[in-house]
Amino acid sequence: MKSAASASLNNSHAPGLRPEKVKILAVDDDRDNLLALQAILEPLQQDLMLAESGTDALRLCLDHDFAAILLDVRMPELDGFETAELIRSRKRSLHTPILFLTAYRSDEQLFRGYDLGAVDFLFKPIVPEVLQSKVNVFVQLSWSELVVRRQAEELARTERTFRAVLEGAPDAMVITSTSGDIQLANSRTDTMFGHSREALLGTNIRNLIPEWTCPELVSGGIAMLRGAPETRLPATRKDGSMFPAEITCSPFGVAEGFLVTTAIRDATTQVEAEERITRINQELEKRVAERTVELTRSNEALRQFAWAASHDLQEPIRTVLSYSQWLSQSVTDELDEKQQIMLRFIEQHASRMHQLAGGLQQYIVASEAGQQSWTAVDCNVVLKTVLSTLQENIRDSGAVIECDHLPVIFSIEVLMVQLFKNLISNGIKYRSSETPRIHISSSRGEDGWVFSVRDNGLGIEPKYFEYIFGVFKRLHAVDHSGTGIGLAICKAAVERLGGRIWLESAPGSGSVFYFCHPDLAHGQIESSTSNLPR
Amino acid sequence: MAKSNQVRRIFLAEDNAADVVLVREALDRHSVSYELMAYPNAQAAILAAERCGMDGHPAPDLILVDLNLPWGHGCDVLEAAAKNPALNSARKAILSSFVGSPSDVERARRLGATGFIMKPANLEEFLDNVGRQIAHLLESSDAASH
Repeated sequence: MKSAASASLNNSHAPGLRPEKVKILAVDDDRDNLLALQAILEPLQQDLMLAESGTDALRLCLDHDFAAILLDVRMPELDGFETAELIRSRKRSLHTPILFLTAYRSDEQLFRGYDLGAVDFLFKPIVPEVLQSKVNVFVQLSWSELVVRRQAEELARTERTFRAVLEGAPDAMVITSTSGDIQLANSRTDTMFGHSREALLGTNIRNLIPEWTCPELVSGGIAMLRGAPETRLPATRKDGSMFPAEITCSPFGVAEGFLVTTAIRDATTQVEAEERITRINQELEKRVAERTVELTRSNEALRQFAWAASHDLQEPIRTVLSYSQWLSQSVTDELDEKQQIMLRFIEQHASRMHQLAGGLQQYIVASEAGQQSWTAVDCNVVLKTVLSTLQENIRDSGAVIECDHLPVIFSIEVLMVQLFKNLISNGIKYRSSETPRIHISSSRGEDGWVFSVRDNGLGIEPKYFEYIFGVFKRLHAVDHSGTGIGLAICKAAVERLGGRIWLESAPGSGSVFYFCHPDLAHGQIESSTSNLPR
Repeated sequence: MAKSNQVRRIFLAEDNAADVVLVREALDRHSVSYELMAYPNAQAAILAAERCGMDGHPAPDLILVDLNLPWGHGCDVLEAAAKNPALNSARKAILSSFVGSPSDVERARRLGATGFIMKPANLEEFLDNVGRQIAHLLESSDAASH
């Protein structure tokens, strides 16, 4: 039995609570009786305190809280009832359960005992099991009380934490019902809006934030406890002045349904900063626009200048060329050898100057977005045109031109003509001692068409790969008939078409020039041409 | 060449005096008998085109204009010529050292130009081609008027 009682005790304490001994007070003037009680209650493993008189008991009650008091009725000086009355009269022990131990079954005694708040009577001789089980009930009761008290303390602590968080928040925090009735507000709310907190309770949050709306709580029958994203709404102070506020609403569930926490932040400085940034940005954009107009104007002026310069250069030099030729025809017989050399140099350099000016003009045509329009261009036809203009070169050099079947693409025909003409004539011009062989092919790449022009000419060292695309850049002496502008024309043309040009080459093993050309569908052409530089 | 002994009147708007000399040389080579009236800028040429047909200003058989002229454009000269009924039967052509822009060429064509003669840089080509093409235009002018 003893072990059973102890086992049930161990099982009964609340989970999460440390099994803590409770205090029990036994009061009897007979020391033997006290020892007997001690022996009986020992298996409960609680903290039993003993008192040999009512006075002792009262003293102990001053310092301790007891789960139960076992009180002998018949004692000298203060008897049990008198002791009980005094125990009950004290606030601390007002509710402490008292069990009277008595040898007499008298109704009068029972009434008096119950009157004094006794919870039970035990009659001597004491049956140990009965005493154990009765005391055990009070031990458990005491434990339950402890649990409740701790929960209450926990609750109070949580409440304090919550209050501290609320008060410590940098934002005004207002807790409302879903319809906006204010139930709680922190002190920042007072300072931000100028209302006293008490005055706010029960009023609607729309007095502060006229456009406040409750965040969506239920979606498809499922409660949504996600906060609404931060929004900026106007807020009104008590004095009627307005300020911009950043609002975040977060609903939370309570027993009665939902409440909403609304965090309000004064965004005045932020808005001012944003406005300043916007102003600065607008100012910047304006300056960029002005600069762009300026640049466009100077670009256009430069373009016109380049055109006029190249054309106007060509005119006088053509005249010099014609007349030096005429002169040499008409006076050759009368000139000595030295004079003939002089005249030949004039002719040679006039001719070269004329070519350069012509190349410059072509370069300008290639790089200037203008009258040429995007159409379907059959590259096979382009190549045919090019080969017929180069037929003299081809014939004189004995060049063999091979050409794969080429695609029809959306492009600017005049630029495609210039590209193939310059690449092929380059291949012929910079030929090695072998018969020039030039192969033209195309393939469909990731970003569009890739065309290649392969020759078996002199080849180019990789360190010159960038250099050769510059205007008037040549790797060979004047006696090679190049003007040094052909590849610059190609580069300008390819870039106008939205592609790029590159090469693979090494001295002695020929060159392959590649250029890619975007494969544009009809609809894309409009937008791509409008993006081209003017 | 049957009518080569007949004197042809040629109106030439050309600012480059050297080219005027070359044109003369080319015409001589092709045995064309000609009377050349050369105008060194657009304004002088326009004024002349407006006066053609009046007393002392006989209408030419051929009007040749350079596109690039001081104080105006070759097409402005063609426009003045197109407005003058006395020049209705005259052949009109461009004589230029560069291929004009498509819009210039189209404008010239609408104003009655039927030829486009390039000035080659090479002397022999100039004398040969320009002379031959002018002679051809004059012949076709005869064919049209007879």
